[in-house]
Amino acid sequence: MVLYLYGRRRAWDMDVGEYRMFQDGLGEQAEFFSYHPLVNLSCFGFIIGVAMFSTHPLFLALILLAGSMYSALLKGRRAWRTNVGMILFMMVFMTLINGLFTHNGVTVLFYLNQNRVTLEALLFGMASAALLAGVIIWLGCFQIIMSSDKFIYLFGRVVPILAMTLSMVFRFLPLFKARFTEIHNGQKCMGRNISGSSWIGRIRSFFKEVSILIAWSLEASIETSDSMEARGYGLRGRTSFHLYRFSRRDAVALAVIGLLGVLSVTGCAMGKTAIYYYPGIWIKAPDIWFFITLASYLALLVLPMAIDIEGERKWRQLYFET
Amino acid sequence: MEAIVFRDVSFSYAGSEKKALKKINLAIHPSEFTVICGRSGCGKSTLLRQLKKNLAPYGKLEGEVLYYGKEIQNLKERESAAEIGFVQQNPDNQIVTDKVWHELAFGLESLGLSNAAMKRKVAEMASFFGMQNWFQKSIQELSGGQKQLLNLASIMVMQPKVLILDEPTAQLDPIAASDFLATLQKINRELGTAILLSEHRLEEIFPMVDRVVVMEEGSILIHDTPRRTAQFLAAGEKQNPMFYGLPSVAKIFSLLKGKGECPLSVREGRLWLEHKLEKAGVTGKQTEKGSEKKRIARQKRRPGTTGKGNTSIRIRDVWFRYQRAGADILKGVNLEVEEGEWFCVLGGNGVGKSTTLKAVAGLIQPYRGYTEVGGIRVEKKNQKQLFHKCLAMLPQSPQAVFTEITAEEELLEALYHWPLSDKEKVRKVEDMLELMELDELAKSHPYDLSGGEQQRLALGKILLQEPKILLMDEPTKGLDPFFKRKLADILGKLQRRGVTIFMVSHDLEFCAEYADRCALFFDGEIVGVDTPVAFFSGNSFYTTVANRVARQWFPEAVICEEVAGLCEEAMM
Repeated sequence: MVLYLYGRRRAWDMDVGEYRMFQDGLGEQAEFFSYHPLVNLSCFGFIIGVAMFSTHPLFLALILLAGSMYSALLKGRRAWRTNVGMILFMMVFMTLINGLFTHNGVTVLFYLNQNRVTLEALLFGMASAALLAGVIIWLGCFQIIMSSDKFIYLFGRVVPILAMTLSMVFRFLPLFKARFTEIHNGQKCMGRNISGSSWIGRIRSFFKEVSILIAWSLEASIETSDSMEARGYGLRGRTSFHLYRFSRRDAVALAVIGLLGVLSVTGCAMGKTAIYYYPGIWIKAPDIWFFITLASYLALLVLPMAIDIEGERKWRQLYFET
Repeated sequence: MEAIVFRDVSFSYAGSEKKALKKINLAIHPSEFTVICGRSGCGKSTLLRQLKKNLAPYGKLEGEVLYYGKEIQNLKERESAAEIGFVQQNPDNQIVTDKVWHELAFGLESLGLSNAAMKRKVAEMASFFGMQNWFQKSIQELSGGQKQLLNLASIMVMQPKVLILDEPTAQLDPIAASDFLATLQKINRELGTAILLSEHRLEEIFPMVDRVVVMEEGSILIHDTPRRTAQFLAAGEKQNPMFYGLPSVAKIFSLLKGKGECPLSVREGRLWLEHKLEKAGVTGKQTEKGSEKKRIARQKRRPGTTGKGNTSIRIRDVWFRYQRAGADILKGVNLEVEEGEWFCVLGGNGVGKSTTLKAVAGLIQPYRGYTEVGGIRVEKKNQKQLFHKCLAMLPQSPQAVFTEITAEEELLEALYHWPLSDKEKVRKVEDMLELMELDELAKSHPYDLSGGEQQRLALGKILLQEPKILLMDEPTKGLDPFFKRKLADILGKLQRRGVTIFMVSHDLEFCAEYADRCALFFDGEIVGVDTPVAFFSGNSFYTTVANRVARQWFPEAVICEEVAGLCEEAMM
């Protein structure tokens, strides 16, 4: 019976396995998430850094495509809809804006109120929209992979006190929220700030609630500082604890990312991927360096996805294919 | 050598003539487990805080406080931080960082340990405390009990020799509190750490500790073993106020004028009672003699409501969940509370008790069913009507209603919207201060009051709304046994004025003694409603300690006085 169930599950899972992966979203289960924060940061740093200066249509298309796919892998099927929606909206919006307000360019399409509307301006608007959308999508993925813990750790390496402050902020925000709810409920139960009160009354109650929150929190913070002092806060030579390990795997990944990143940044900096929209569209003729840049940047774009898919495949192989 | 010595210690707070501590002499040995008890404001916290260099209050200190022969104030910062651990009352306020693992390492970070060393110590501690499953969690996902355990663990990780705890379980429910105390016992037994804690709930702590210190108005009344302390507190003409905090078994023992060793646990109490009753020739279940009326008079129990009064709160088939996709919290709750009744809802953590209270107050909207209060449907459009002289709720944290700088003004603020003359308002406030027995503290800042006093001030503020129905969420949390009785008195007075009291509680003993009816809440619904006697004698585990001790002879006795009374009668 057990074997039967096990077999069934395996068959079902393998049939639609890869698709399910893009439907539910891996989130923090993603293999790339488990890499050292430095690896995560450098990878996204290069991807987003280069994306911010890309105007080459091929690059833009790749950034958008890879970004949308990765965001679907991390966030699930729903991300497709929001991403495509955002891309379309930006395209229409920025193309229109740029087309109507910028009159550079040699190819005049038509005149509107005696102003030129040029093909170049429209295309440039479209390219800027793609750039912006691409960066936003990648930042969305970055946000999932770089959890607050990782941020705190990386900042802590540079400025230890900042790491602690950040950690405290993440602690106190939900606490304040919970307190405010309790205060609001308390006031409500005294017949304040309920539906039917006047506008002025409600605003007054709101400020009263905020003032209670401040008084309460200040009072509580005395206890917090006592507890910090009781545990030796303020002694010289404070260190910062973290749970991360820099393993061989991380070293290899960092080396690969570093190589790919340096290649693509150099290529871009040398202007091998340059394109000019004004006055007329001019694309630099591709040479060997262009292809090297393209290849290394493409590799960077698909690297997190490849790592995640490989991780997922391995996992399934290990547990469902014995 | 003694771990801690207080030698002729007196202390008065800055700007105050009154001595908070008077000539304290106390020695704590290494690996000793000591509990300090006494009424709120008797100087327990002041005493404990002298032991931590940075937490010692400002004021004038006379005498010496020594840690292994060295004066506390002369200890090195590092030594004081690492070797003397201090846990406070409020679980939330002590936590600094956002993750469990980070909080655990906070003290070690201060000491400047390397990452590898920290990792190892943190791992050790997490295993000792059984925290593996929530090690990676965010603080906000933890329960109150887990938070307090984390506070304890984050101090134990520094391997202190002395652990000081200032009412650590006051904000916890009884189940979390006993977990916490059991962990303390484990630390004491297995690691040999000396523990000094102040505590109100003596029921469970008494059998665990080596020594008990009882304080009264800044001086030590007695410092002895738990058994002898119990005997001391029960003896004498006038019972010491701390008598009410004693374990039920010890109370029954002293009410029956027991001789010899005082029993402390249920097991010991049963054996002692069996021995005593056997000698008097009483065996087996004793059926009640005399009429119901006589019984009630004998046990000083108020006659319960008749069940024929008007309905004050009606909960009809209420279903509720927080999120569309979430699980149901309330699953068809049905309940009717009569006018002028004192009704208690009991039950474990997270079964939906507080949510029910919120539904009655209209703070949440059920997706099926409805609630009615005083004949008014609890709905958004009726809110004004509901909260006007009809319904009031005391929040769990009294701080949630404090806005002013003195207790007096706090109460005046409650009357701000009433169409009354100033004179009338002042009179009402004075009456309320008197009722809450806060007249002497009228000019104090609300935040300077003790937990019990804050609770009463908040209650006073709520009561100035003149509600006919009072809702309370855990009103006995953090109160000392003496204040608890006072609260019961105040609520009793209100009840006689016709106020309906509907409370949610974990405090079995309190509900058994004062409630008219009790209900057991489990898994989103009410599984039983009855008068306390029927309710508790019908349960076998979820019942009062007194009932567990005496149930084989007197199944209907649920509070200590009843057990003692029936015993006396049976032995006559």
